[in-house]
Amino acid sequence: MARACIRFLRNGEPVTLTDVPPMQTLLDYLRLTQRKTGTKEGCNEGDCGACTVALGSIRNGALVYEPVNACIQLMGQLDGKEIITVEDLDGNHPVQTALVKHHASQCGFCTPGFVMSLFTLHEKAAKQTRAGVNEYLAGNLCRCTGYRPIVDAALEALNTPPAPRDAAALAALQDAQDIFIGDDESFIASPASLDSLAEIYESFPDATLVAGATDVGLWITKQMRTLPRLIFLNRVRELQALHDGPDGLEIGAGVTYEQAEEAFSALHPDMARLLWRIGSKQVRASGTIGGNIANGSPIGDTPPALIALGATIELRKGSHTRRLKLEDFFIAYGKQDRQPGEFVSRIFVPKINAKASFHAYKISKRFDQDISAVCGAFHFAADGPRIAFGGMAATPKRARKTEAALAQGLEAALAALAEDFTPLSDMRASAEYRLETARALLKKALMERDGLALTQTRVLAAREVVL
Amino acid sequence: MPLDAKPGMDFKVIGTRPVRPDGIDKVTGRARFGADFNMPGQLTGRVLRSPHAHARVKSIDVSQALKLQGVKAVVTRDDFNADAVDPALMDVLVNVMARDKVLYEGHAVAAVAAVDAPTARQALKLIKVDYEILPHVTDVEEAMKPSAPVLHADMFTDGVEPRPTKASNIASRVEFGHGDVEAGFQQADVIVEREFRTEAAHQGYIEPHAVVASMGADGYAEMWCCTQGHFMVRNISAHLNGVDVSKLRVTASEIGGGFGGKTTVFLEPVALALSRKANRPVKLVMTRDEVFRASGPTSSSYVKVKIGAKKDGTITGAYAELAYQGGAFRGSPVDMGAMCTYACYDLKNVQVVGYDVVVNRPKQAAYRAPGAPQAAFGVESVIDELAQKLGMDPIDLRLKNAARDGTKSSYGPTFGPNGLIQTLEAAKNHPNYKVKLGPHQGRGVAVGFWFNFGGQTAVSMNVNIDGSIALAVGTPDIGGSRASMGLMAAEELGIAYDKVRTIVADTASLGFNDVTEGSRVTFSSGLATVQAARDAIKKMCGRAAQMWGIPEDAVEWKDGHAHPAGANAGNFPPMSLADIAKDAGNTGGPIAGHCEVNAEGAGISFATHLVDVEVDPQTGRTQVLRYTVIQDAGKAIHPTYVEGQYQGGAAQGVGWALNEEYIYGKDGRLQNAGFLDYRIPVCSDLPMIDTVIIEVPNPGHPYGVRGVGETGIVPPLGAVGNAVSHACGHRMTVVPMSPPRSLKAIKG
Repeated sequence: MARACIRFLRNGEPVTLTDVPPMQTLLDYLRLTQRKTGTKEGCNEGDCGACTVALGSIRNGALVYEPVNACIQLMGQLDGKEIITVEDLDGNHPVQTALVKHHASQCGFCTPGFVMSLFTLHEKAAKQTRAGVNEYLAGNLCRCTGYRPIVDAALEALNTPPAPRDAAALAALQDAQDIFIGDDESFIASPASLDSLAEIYESFPDATLVAGATDVGLWITKQMRTLPRLIFLNRVRELQALHDGPDGLEIGAGVTYEQAEEAFSALHPDMARLLWRIGSKQVRASGTIGGNIANGSPIGDTPPALIALGATIELRKGSHTRRLKLEDFFIAYGKQDRQPGEFVSRIFVPKINAKASFHAYKISKRFDQDISAVCGAFHFAADGPRIAFGGMAATPKRARKTEAALAQGLEAALAALAEDFTPLSDMRASAEYRLETARALLKKALMERDGLALTQTRVLAAREVVL
Repeated sequence: MPLDAKPGMDFKVIGTRPVRPDGIDKVTGRARFGADFNMPGQLTGRVLRSPHAHARVKSIDVSQALKLQGVKAVVTRDDFNADAVDPALMDVLVNVMARDKVLYEGHAVAAVAAVDAPTARQALKLIKVDYEILPHVTDVEEAMKPSAPVLHADMFTDGVEPRPTKASNIASRVEFGHGDVEAGFQQADVIVEREFRTEAAHQGYIEPHAVVASMGADGYAEMWCCTQGHFMVRNISAHLNGVDVSKLRVTASEIGGGFGGKTTVFLEPVALALSRKANRPVKLVMTRDEVFRASGPTSSSYVKVKIGAKKDGTITGAYAELAYQGGAFRGSPVDMGAMCTYACYDLKNVQVVGYDVVVNRPKQAAYRAPGAPQAAFGVESVIDELAQKLGMDPIDLRLKNAARDGTKSSYGPTFGPNGLIQTLEAAKNHPNYKVKLGPHQGRGVAVGFWFNFGGQTAVSMNVNIDGSIALAVGTPDIGGSRASMGLMAAEELGIAYDKVRTIVADTASLGFNDVTEGSRVTFSSGLATVQAARDAIKKMCGRAAQMWGIPEDAVEWKDGHAHPAGANAGNFPPMSLADIAKDAGNTGGPIAGHCEVNAEGAGISFATHLVDVEVDPQTGRTQVLRYTVIQDAGKAIHPTYVEGQYQGGAAQGVGWALNEEYIYGKDGRLQNAGFLDYRIPVCSDLPMIDTVIIEVPNPGHPYGVRGVGETGIVPPLGAVGNAVSHACGHRMTVVPMSPPRSLKAIKG
């Protein structure tokens, strides 16, 4: 018997909602329903961070707070979570005190979002450098200050340890019950198991699957689409599993970027660097690896690297499962090898052989929180090179001609890139720029592979910090 | 009584850095911004906007929308009486609601008020607008060509003799300068001439425009909105709706950034019209998409600069030609740009010509030193190139030609005391100027100027029974000005800062105040606050005299107390402000100080910026390594907020210089209307911007204050441009210097 309500904690206090419009966002719930206007709407598309709230989750028995953009967080994602907003802090929280002391608000509109991003950082109880603070604040825009007083305040606030918190109340909300609110025409479903998910999705193959809502949220708030039937994936137990085995990683499709960071980092440092470049802390706390793949975007940042690594995916429909190479999943723009009612359940990423070398880079206008102009991944293994690019074609795509041409040397490979790809010109980059930088990435990867000094290139790898 | 200016005075409160009055409110979510106001029975409004860049509006049919359940009002052009509108405000009316034509994508065509947002959005879809699509032009240089589609059939270029007989998109031509430029160029040993282009940028305030309007059946109305000038909002909204100004009371909310973009109206008159029609409160809030498409970004520009100099660096002649598009209506800031172009230099022969051009884009609004950064980009780049050619240090070249006290400016006035020389010298001695640069790195220097405004200002200061002060100002606080006013009031009264509470009063509570713009607030409202305090002091001295039974002129005010002074004053112990306040009811009633003034004497402002960058030769991406702002503040009332303005201006300038731009498609539609693709700097894009405050007092203010808000955005385009040019080995002439443009420059 499914549960017909969602339950969450609002700063420690239990809340049960039985009437939840499927497309309602957390921000609308706070500002319109609750008239809690402390959390601000600056863009309603997850770019500015003014609506940042802290989302508490139980992970491995511990209470973890992460920042999320309330504007693209749907209410259906909140079951079993705790929500803390700026209005829940009393004004004497170390983060608030430090921001006031350092005069870190000018207009103050972005401040509630900064408070909550820094609250989640403070809860980590770890010392930070400016680079670490930058990473935490990449999803919060401030137009007044130039960020200096905010960073100063952040570094000072971290000197005070966080108050101890009790995980018991939130732990008590975790259950294995499916949730269904609504009727066949319009509903929120939040299955708790893979079997339940497979069953309901097969019954409603035109329903929209929602993992982190970092894209689906925009369909609602930006494109004004009507999505009456939503199936949320974040409570499906099996989809949250991440197994680091001797042969490779098995990643449940619902694992967030944030949760994958450690395992990706162990796989290869470039994989961690690539993750840091995806969206912002808020986006990475919500967005999932599975969503990045299933969504099929030509500019998703993980598929090129996963293709280069030889990843495969598992798809499920009803009781039937199948596996295929990730590179074969992407057929054409907006078209993937996925049947109605079928969903991506797991991703398998092989380990990198000790003798192989791997390199992944992202080119965008801005280091943080930007969409790739070009994303390139290079895997030089004993059985041959595997090279894949994002942003160069209608799908993430392998550069097979380039791979083959490498045997004839660098110049041949650089020329072959133009045979593999005829990229588009758009507002993010011109076709010439895409091809030019794709060649630069290939050169850089080869130089790195060969252990050459990289004085001629500064293609971004790590975030640079200037104090 | 010592009520005159006190140069070199020994300040007790001014120059300290107390916490601002709105500090806690802003970290707790308690501060109420535009969209945070709600009224009982409030309706949600939405605006229907043109999908076309240029089209004739043949008809608008709202009948189906009105039939939709939950729709309470629809307004269109027919709800505004254009015949009754002051011709000077006609463009404002046409901009808030299109009339015979839509002039840009995003131009408002109709608005609805409904019970909720989904209903309002649905109603918009039911409004039928019949458009006749017309050819459009969005580029400033294209718009000036004789073959360009003409936006306004009645636009004949002003400032050209004889007046043209053919309509064009050139609204006006302006010219400034003196001497003989051609003769000047003939004396030159070196001449540099170049063309520059800058794309349009948006102010990028994080708070979208928002308003709640409520008009009763009796015609009296209230309005809450985020604006830089609620008196301006009141006057225009009332006028466009044919309402007495006094019947509309406007309260300014906290404002989530403006930078000039909230110095005009967009939604407010429409909200008032909807509320009148629906007889219910109506809330209108822009989406981020609307903010980009339908508020007021800055001008894009074409700038030509020609400067000649002798071998010793003396500039002999300087010419510039500017063309700024101001969107679909006359009024680009090309006039101010032309006046600022050469303001940093002491020149014998100078000429600047400017063209105000209309295109099918949203009507531009002010953006921090409007018009100045584009011109400065050209001039500072050419000065830098001259320095290269002359083999001179770029600071030395500027020092040799810098404007100073007594310089006749290129736009007419003769400058008074100012700090340009000091900022240049401080730059030369700053550690930033001495750091050794590595490969692919470059350093840029640039100077900048802004006039600073004064203007109409009214302030009230109430002395309360316990000796605390309620200070009411009429200029919305956009960068910490309530703290600065409190500091000045406390300084003048001789009491503690925390005894003063400063508020931004509504339009019914004070005389008219000009908009918070032009870096005028700390100067003008500050001057008025000091004058109001002096008014209150005079009254308090009178009360003390009355209580002591001595003549009024035998009382002086010192350190927050009335003191008997002079031979016949008698020997009374000093009476504190609180003592006098407590007895006010027995000595003549409430005590208040007032000042209503049209403030003059805003001192000019100069800055020098230093920046070091590194450009990636493989991707063209620029990383800013170091940034230093050196600017004259006259007197820094609250130094932290002065530094905040310096850093904020530089941060916006860096964003504009490197990445921010309006990108239009061939269809005349904006392609990047969102923070996703209009990239303002995030934390990792900026270094910890360093600041140096120079203080050359402004004789026009009792404490020497100069405005500080605007100048900071003037030098960055040039400074970053020079730095990137040195790093690339190629002169950059287009802003923004985005990675593709820089890569192209590197590859040649």
